[in-house]
Amino acid sequence: MAEIARPATRLGHDVASQEQALEPERAAELLERIEKNIHRVIVGKDRVVRLAIAGLVAGGHVLLQDLPGTGKTMLARALATSVGGTFRRIQCTPDLLPSDITGSSVFNQKDVSFEFVAGPIFANIVLADEVNRATPRTQSALLEAMGEGQVTVEGTTRTLDRPFFVVATQNPAEFHGTYPLPESQLDRFVLAAEMGPPTDAEAMEVLARREHGDPIADLAAVIDVREVIELQEACLRVVAAPAIRTYIVALMQAIRARPDVLLPASMRAGVYLQRAAQAWALFEGRDFVLPDDVKLLAAPVLAHRLGMKGRGNAADMLGEVVSALPIPPLRQH
Amino acid sequence: MALVTRWLRLPASPIEHSIEGRAFVFSGFSVAMLAIALYGQDYIVPILAFVATAIGHVVSYRERNRKRGLWRQVFLAALVFGALFYVIADSALALFGGVLPQANFAILLVAITSFDLKTRRNCYSSMWISLAILYLAAVYAWDYAFGILLALWALYLAGFWIASHLKRMEAGVRVPARALALMLAAAILGGVGWFVAVPQPSGVPISPLVISLPNFSNFKGGLESPALPLVQLTGDSTGASSSVDLHFRGRLGDAPVMYVRTGAPAYWRGLVFDEYRDGAWTTTNHGYREMQPYVPPRFMPPAPPHNLGTFVQTFRVLRPLPGVINAAYPIQSLYAPVAALREDAYGTFHTPDALRPGQTYSVVSYLPDLSADALRGDELERVAPQNNPAYLDPGSLSPRARQMAVEATKGASNEFDAVMALTGYLQRGYQYTLDLPRVPAGRDPVDWFLFDVKTGYCEQFATAETLMLRSLGIPARLATGYGTGDYDPLLNQAVVREHDAHAWVEVWFSGHGWVPVDPTPGVAPLAATRFPNHWAGGGVARLLPHLTVGAPAAALGSLGVFAVVPLAMGIAIVFVLAYAWLRRRVWRRRPKTPPGESELLRLYERLQRRLGRRRAPPETPLEYQRLMQSDVLVDVTKAVNEGVYAGRWPDPTRVRDFAERIS
Repeated sequence: MAEIARPATRLGHDVASQEQALEPERAAELLERIEKNIHRVIVGKDRVVRLAIAGLVAGGHVLLQDLPGTGKTMLARALATSVGGTFRRIQCTPDLLPSDITGSSVFNQKDVSFEFVAGPIFANIVLADEVNRATPRTQSALLEAMGEGQVTVEGTTRTLDRPFFVVATQNPAEFHGTYPLPESQLDRFVLAAEMGPPTDAEAMEVLARREHGDPIADLAAVIDVREVIELQEACLRVVAAPAIRTYIVALMQAIRARPDVLLPASMRAGVYLQRAAQAWALFEGRDFVLPDDVKLLAAPVLAHRLGMKGRGNAADMLGEVVSALPIPPLRQH
Repeated sequence: MALVTRWLRLPASPIEHSIEGRAFVFSGFSVAMLAIALYGQDYIVPILAFVATAIGHVVSYRERNRKRGLWRQVFLAALVFGALFYVIADSALALFGGVLPQANFAILLVAITSFDLKTRRNCYSSMWISLAILYLAAVYAWDYAFGILLALWALYLAGFWIASHLKRMEAGVRVPARALALMLAAAILGGVGWFVAVPQPSGVPISPLVISLPNFSNFKGGLESPALPLVQLTGDSTGASSSVDLHFRGRLGDAPVMYVRTGAPAYWRGLVFDEYRDGAWTTTNHGYREMQPYVPPRFMPPAPPHNLGTFVQTFRVLRPLPGVINAAYPIQSLYAPVAALREDAYGTFHTPDALRPGQTYSVVSYLPDLSADALRGDELERVAPQNNPAYLDPGSLSPRARQMAVEATKGASNEFDAVMALTGYLQRGYQYTLDLPRVPAGRDPVDWFLFDVKTGYCEQFATAETLMLRSLGIPARLATGYGTGDYDPLLNQAVVREHDAHAWVEVWFSGHGWVPVDPTPGVAPLAATRFPNHWAGGGVARLLPHLTVGAPAAALGSLGVFAVVPLAMGIAIVFVLAYAWLRRRVWRRRPKTPPGESELLRLYERLQRRLGRRRAPPETPLEYQRLMQSDVLVDVTKAVNEGVYAGRWPDPTRVRDFAERIS
């Protein structure tokens, strides 16, 4: 929640001082540019690509889950490349230490002083690959940085540059040598997406593109860091009408009322759902949220943080809830 | 209807959806019914119409959105004509009693049209007919209570107006209904308590509701002899006594005798006497002519020259009175609700029976221009007018009284100056009293008054002056009746009480006829009347002390039991204001609907109905649109989404475009 609240307070100055706010149409155009660029590498998977970008625009972090080799890392890299800015990759292993992520002080013999060497977390876009392989201690260091937008090394607190966007991937099928993220830490990702298997046509296309090399090598940035920040601010200006808030609250209530839900959606989940819906609206050049956005994003935003009884599937349950829940009456007065 | 509206280029009136507004319209009609029942003494038609109208209002509210059926309209039109025929029949047959057959027509009209109250304009016309009914009831209304009914009607009109517009704007005022009802009940209880505990102004009887049925009995026998009312020694069948005997004088109280609604204050003349014998006045000419209850101007003497115009008086009798029409003279025309009238030889009208409480009659009189200059020009003819020698007969007037008359009018060169000189002489030299000892046996009352006691009341003064004028050769006669009474310029109404019974002199002037002259001390000698200057500065100034001191108390007193109503209303208003002040927030309006919202959403509903499947509750407008595949729906859905979720409602012209595309 904190990383959402912080830009909002800063936005107060920015909007007032900024001469030209980003128009929704222009935002849609920028987003389309990113999408197209990513699609030069990723074949199909429109929904997942868009979700990943939405996570960036919403100012949150994204968790990609699926089997190895489905393109998680490729998507994260493509996104990072498209956006310009600095990109670092952390390959998580059980022997990874927190200081390997945050950086540490090194003694400089020339100056006779300790010098801070920044870790890979000091970047605009960080890919935390196979995040569930890191030890809980290292995970929590990463998640503190995700939550607070700052790291504390040896008593000194250092703020991370904006935009700060973490794409974490994990392989849910593997159990040996993994430390599954607890619910409280899963809750920090604004949305989680699954790549899903490619269709035959998509697979053919992937093979065709890879015939003579790796296309990601040719990928260039299509927007710069300043434009990402503008997009994030435009996202905050998107209107969520009282009817939308009513709808989100009703949705949370409906989930809570389900007998098969063990751990219901938190308040943070509701806030993320609204923020993600705002980001989603920008893709269509809208400056207001539709209930359709909320419906569509319910599963990606909520499913990974719900605890289900037995072997229940949270995404399926959400689908049922959303298709049965009445939207608030159109007539408000 | 639509054709007529188009032809008159009237804008279409919106359908009235406000239940409260309709309730106000019905209440307005109910008030009119109450007025007709109270003042018109008409019970059957108002009660039937009240029930029918209540049903009609329910029916019209339920069917307000439906189209008018041709045959139903024809049926209602036929009913209107039926009501018209009923009224024509009723005015001749008096089927249900009551005094206002024309009001029955208006009542039936409201009852019939209440089944067709669709639009706001319909509701207004119902209100206006209620006002017309109130106007008819006003003819018979004599008190301030009618003002309360009128104020209520105005309140209901305002209520309808407000309720209708609030409904149209889809705004609402949350009224704390239960608290207000409690307050009102408490206020009414308090008002009743006040009414019981606080003493009422004296002299105003609290009388039960008077019910009057038309009186159709006719004259039996001849007109014996007209006489002064209230001194009823030897009465005839109508209660009129045959003479005025100066030896006797009844004690007169303060009780109101009649109300007179009049355009000008005047003396209300009753009987006239010409012969004085042995201390008593009688009449010599017993002739009369029979008249219909309505006496048109063509049956009356021509208008006096130089008159100031005519004015209407309506009399309402409060106590049993002799069958004599008291009115301002000269009369132009009159109507009394009796079988027949008789005009005696002196121009006074008589009714077959004694007048009973509740009876009313109307008289139109000329206002003669009686100025001193005009009257001075009249020649004294010294001939008895109308060939009646009694007008010049001083009777048993003593020689010293005749001598006194000559001395009093010394120096007067014309008739008017002589009359004024004698009147002034009596007014200045003699005292007015109601405590007169009995006339000693054998004494002539006039001589005893002029030379012994030198005090008397109006009859002594008038008798003395009449006889003295006659001794000078000036024709004169004694007129009796009532003084103007307490004239209320607010209501244009005079309250005439027992003690207003009066006697004065009528003097013959060749150019003006009988001119009233009043020798009683303390009043204007020439009893001429003028139209009151209501709205001139002087009139207003005259009103002020009246209003500040006496009027409110008198007004409350005159209401009787109804005095509870204004008191309760006053207390209730104070309570309501205090309550509203304490709970200001409750009275705030609901947020206003943005323009275009209800139009667009209503259109969206209509479009869904037309497409055959309505949007399911969990379906978003966009999902619905994707499934329905309609070009209009794409645009309408876009507008709906923009409105509901971005607050940008389309302007009504765009909604109208959509509507055109749909149809």
